[in-house]
This record gives sequence, structure tokens and C-alpha cells, in this order.
Amino acid sequence: MAGPINQALPPSYQLLNYRVDKQISRGGFSIVYRAFDEHGNTVAIKEYLPSALVLRTEGDLVRATSAENLNSFRYGMKCFFEEGRALAKINHPNVVRVLNFFRANETVYMVMRYERGRTLQQQIQYKPESLTERFLRRVFTQLLTGLREVHTHKLLHLDIKPANVYLRQDGTPVLLDFGAARQTLQVTSQSRFAPMYTPGFAAPEQYRDPDRLGPWTDCYGIGASLFACLATFAPQAADSRIEEDHLVSAKKIWGGNYSDDLLEVIDWCLKLDPLERPQSVFALQKALREAPPEKKRRSLVGLMRAKLFADFKLKRGSL
Amino acid sequence: MQFTIFQDSRKGARKINQDRVAYSYSRDALLLVCADGMGGHFGGEIAAQIVVRLLVERFQADARPVLKNPLLFLQDTMLRAHSALGHYSRQLNLMESPRTTCVACVVQHSHAYWVHVGDSRLYLIRDGRVIIQTRDHSKVQYLVDQGVITREEAGTHPDRNKIYSCLGGSLDPVIDLSRRTPILSGDVIVLCSDGVWSQVHADEFCEVAAHPAMLAEAPKLMAEAERRGGAEGDNLSTILMRWGPELSDEAGTTTTITETMPAGQFATQVDRPMTITQRKDGVRELTDDEIEQAISEIQATIRRYGK
Repeated sequence: MAGPINQALPPSYQLLNYRVDKQISRGGFSIVYRAFDEHGNTVAIKEYLPSALVLRTEGDLVRATSAENLNSFRYGMKCFFEEGRALAKINHPNVVRVLNFFRANETVYMVMRYERGRTLQQQIQYKPESLTERFLRRVFTQLLTGLREVHTHKLLHLDIKPANVYLRQDGTPVLLDFGAARQTLQVTSQSRFAPMYTPGFAAPEQYRDPDRLGPWTDCYGIGASLFACLATFAPQAADSRIEEDHLVSAKKIWGGNYSDDLLEVIDWCLKLDPLERPQSVFALQKALREAPPEKKRRSLVGLMRAKLFADFKLKRGSL
Repeated sequence: MQFTIFQDSRKGARKINQDRVAYSYSRDALLLVCADGMGGHFGGEIAAQIVVRLLVERFQADARPVLKNPLLFLQDTMLRAHSALGHYSRQLNLMESPRTTCVACVVQHSHAYWVHVGDSRLYLIRDGRVIIQTRDHSKVQYLVDQGVITREEAGTHPDRNKIYSCLGGSLDPVIDLSRRTPILSGDVIVLCSDGVWSQVHADEFCEVAAHPAMLAEAPKLMAEAERRGGAEGDNLSTILMRWGPELSDEAGTTTTITETMPAGQFATQVDRPMTITQRKDGVRELTDDEIEQAISEIQATIRRYGK
């Protein structure tokens, strides 16, 4: 893609009482840095920087690329505030913790607790053999505890996927990136800030029926993430499933390698009809917890079978 | 804030509806208002409209995101409304100014504050019974208070429609203010015009208030009140507001939750189209003040939930 790119803040840049160390990640709407506070604690700082609207070619000040974009930039700031406002209330070991929120350089920043570890996506890519049934049940049960807390605050995550699940070094999961989160009762339809969805993980109602968003929408993301853990790639995207559903049930693909009821939970979450899915995280958590975890490793045969089935008609979705 | 709200205004057997009801809320404050424009004088519906509009406009100007002094706000707005109606009639050289009753209630920080002028009522219902109600500025209420007639006789008294205080009359209005009243989850606040309370017993409101499906039951009660009013039936207006989360277990589709509303934003529902402010829909720039306010609120929340 041509066009100017927003410059990240340079290493050692002093941002209020935080010293920037390096850029950790970059998305369409923000850059995340690793930084240190005045006590030497490591934090993650998210900088609101929608690349379509503003530009920072040098120095630190953010400038809108046009007067009209300045309006949109300020409007999008509201969404950033919503994320901060929602997260500020949630203090849960399995949900990313916001530590501070401030304004500088003509934009706004959210400071979060820095977690050491890797994302579930990296785990899938680099250590697929670690994704045993016992591991998945433990991680997802804990993750769902965090998600329940989120739903209790009448907030939906709406972008649950392995890349947004962080695994600490002790193996406990943290739910990250609430950039897509919406308050359940207010769905804004600003074209510039239209909801973003990740193909494969977004539920069908996210594409075409925003009035029907609910806890079951996040359940779809959970099911798709579990599916991805077994398959190492995302399930068929929901919008194309609506046209022609090629998704083979988890039970059919991995039957014998994982317990039936784990596979049934995945299939349950991936139902196209929101009403047929678990209606609350609680129901889902209960189902996931019910059977005693069996120690079953994924066999090579199982892995091959999975690929065969999946490649049969699906395009390989990226995680 | 979380609340469930019902609002309805009906013509009854009259040619026009001179009642007006509205509610408006910011993230942290809620305004309810019901005004009954007086028949028998010119332009009752205009008076009701002016008063409701003035309340909503001033509420949106001052509730940032809460009112500093709700009782002062209510009293001051009633006085301004009264003089606005006088001003209106002078401008148009009317023989007499349009008049209206009014009851209005503000809820913020789990406390309710209300004001009333005339015989539009407020009931506060807790645990299935009315624990507080406003006292009408009416002749029959006065006679009941003096022990001249009984409460039952008041319902059929020939002067039952006479009130001694209203907004827009030639006399200064009597303005009754409530105390600062704590409200609990499950409490229901009812505002209604005399067309409703003359036909519906307070117990019937309590029943609807206690019903898990309040929003489904309330219209039935309104229809029943209208039926009882018959061919002479007055206009009927009601707002029912239940504080706190929904009683039933279904997903919160009817409860209004304001917690993540951006600072400075309002939602307003009036019983007929009304232009409240000149704000354009769509993309609106955040002002620097709003940004600062949002940030300081988030910081306060982080501190509160920090440990």
C-alpha cells in the first residue's frame, strides 16, 4: 500500500511520566507501545491514531489530513473513550487492566498493565502440540470467567479471536483489545467507524443484523477460537457460510481425538442462528466444565484428517 | 443509571390532546415531565408544550452530566415557564395567557426531586404501595384537608376540576417542591394527569408497577382508564419509571442503561415531534471540554475500581 505511514513515537520518547521503549503492535486505529513508568514498571500504552484520518510524519504531534477528517478523528475518539470507560470498570484477572488514560500530542492514550507471555494465536502457530483438551478446557474456562465479567457490565467484546487472547507465562489467559467493544444498547452506524470484524471469528449477525448482537455473538467468537485451536486456522467466514455453508462439524473432524462434549460445545457455539447458540457465557462455561477433562493428545493422524476435511472446500482463512 | 420507562398520552374523548409528556436523560441524570394544558382557556396545549420544552431544554443545558441543584433547577424553571407564558400572551396580545399544570421529576445519584403545580400528580411506589404522593393544588383537596368533605366525595364534587395554582395564570403559581428523596432499585415513579388518576386507583398503578412485564401491562391500564372515562373522558397522560435493572430474567432489552453514554449526550422522548436543540445528527466534533471531561471521568473510574 502506497501512501504515507504514521511514524511511531521513537524509543526513549518521554510521554508524560512514561518513557517509551518500543512499538509492540500497530493496527488501523492505534499503535501500542511498551513503556516504563517513573517507578520502572513496564506498561503497555495504546495511542489513538486512526491511520486513515491523521498523519504524523515527524515529531510527535498528530495532525488531521483534512478539516473534515478532523471531525471524524474527534468522533472516533469517542469510541476510544468508550473502550476506556468500559474497561476502567472491569478489574478482573482475565481481562486487560487499564491503569491510566490521558491526552497528549493532540491525541489520547490508554495505559494498560503489561503482560508477559504470548497470544493464543502464537501458541497455535508455534506450539500446536500444546493445545491438548485439558489445556483448552482450562484456558477457555478461565477466559469465560473474564468474558462473564465483561457481559455483566453490559458490554460485548465482539472481536474474540486467538490474537486477542493473551497467555501469561503462568498460562492464565487475558482478554485483550476492546476496540470493537460496544455497549449492548447503543449501536452506532457511523460509516467511517463501521464495526470491524475478523472473518472466521465474527458471528453472522455482526455482518448484517446488528440489532441481534448479544452474549451469543461473543459465544460464536469463542467457538471459532476453539475451532482454530484444533484446526490451526479459522473456520469459514460467517458471511460466506450464510451463502453456502461448508463448515464441517468439529465432531465429525476431530471425533475420537477430543471428547465428544468439547466438540459438541464448539459446534453449538458455531450455529448460524443466534438462538441456537449458548445464550449466555454462563451456559457455555457450564457445558465446558461439565465433563471431567480427559488427557487426549492430538495425534498426527487427527491433524492430517483435520487438514484434509478443512482444505476440502474451505479457503484457508488467516487467523 | 438503569431504568425502565413507559410513556403514553391519549386524547380520550376530547377533540384535541392538551396534555404533554416527555423524558430526557444524560448519562447520570433523568428528567420526567407531564403537563396538562388547561381547557376552557385559550391554547392549553400551547402552554403545556412551552413548559415541557423549556424544562427539557434547560435540563440539557444544565445537566452536565448532573444538575448542580435539582430543586433549585425545578423551582427556577417553573417560574421561568410561568413568565414565558405571560410573555407569550403579551406578544400575541391575547386576552388571557394559556395555562397549564405541570409535574416534573429529576432523578440523579439515586435520589429523586420533584415539583408540581396544579393537579397533575406524582406517586412514588415502593414494595407495592404508594409511599409518597403529591398533594393537588385543587379546591377539593383543600376541602378534604379541612375536613369539609371526604376523599370519596371529592371524586364527584362539582368543583373537582377547579385548581388554584397553575403556570400562566394571572396569579403567581404555588410551586410545591419535594425533599431530596432516596430511591431504591425497584421503586416506581408515576407522573400522570388528572384524566388518568380520576379513573385509575393508586392500587392499580401499584399492581402494574410490581408486574415484571410493566411495559406490557401499562398500556392495558391506560386503555382501561380511557374506557372508564367514556364519552366525557379527559386527556390521559402517564409516565411510569421503574428504577434499577429489569425484574424479569430476559436479556435487558427494555431497560435503559446510561453508563457508557458519552458525557454531554442526551436522549429525549416526547409524546409528539418537538425540536429540542439545533444539534445536527451524525458526526459532531467533540469539544476540548468534552475531551477533558471524558478523560477525567475515566481516570476517576480507574481509581474507583483500581483496588
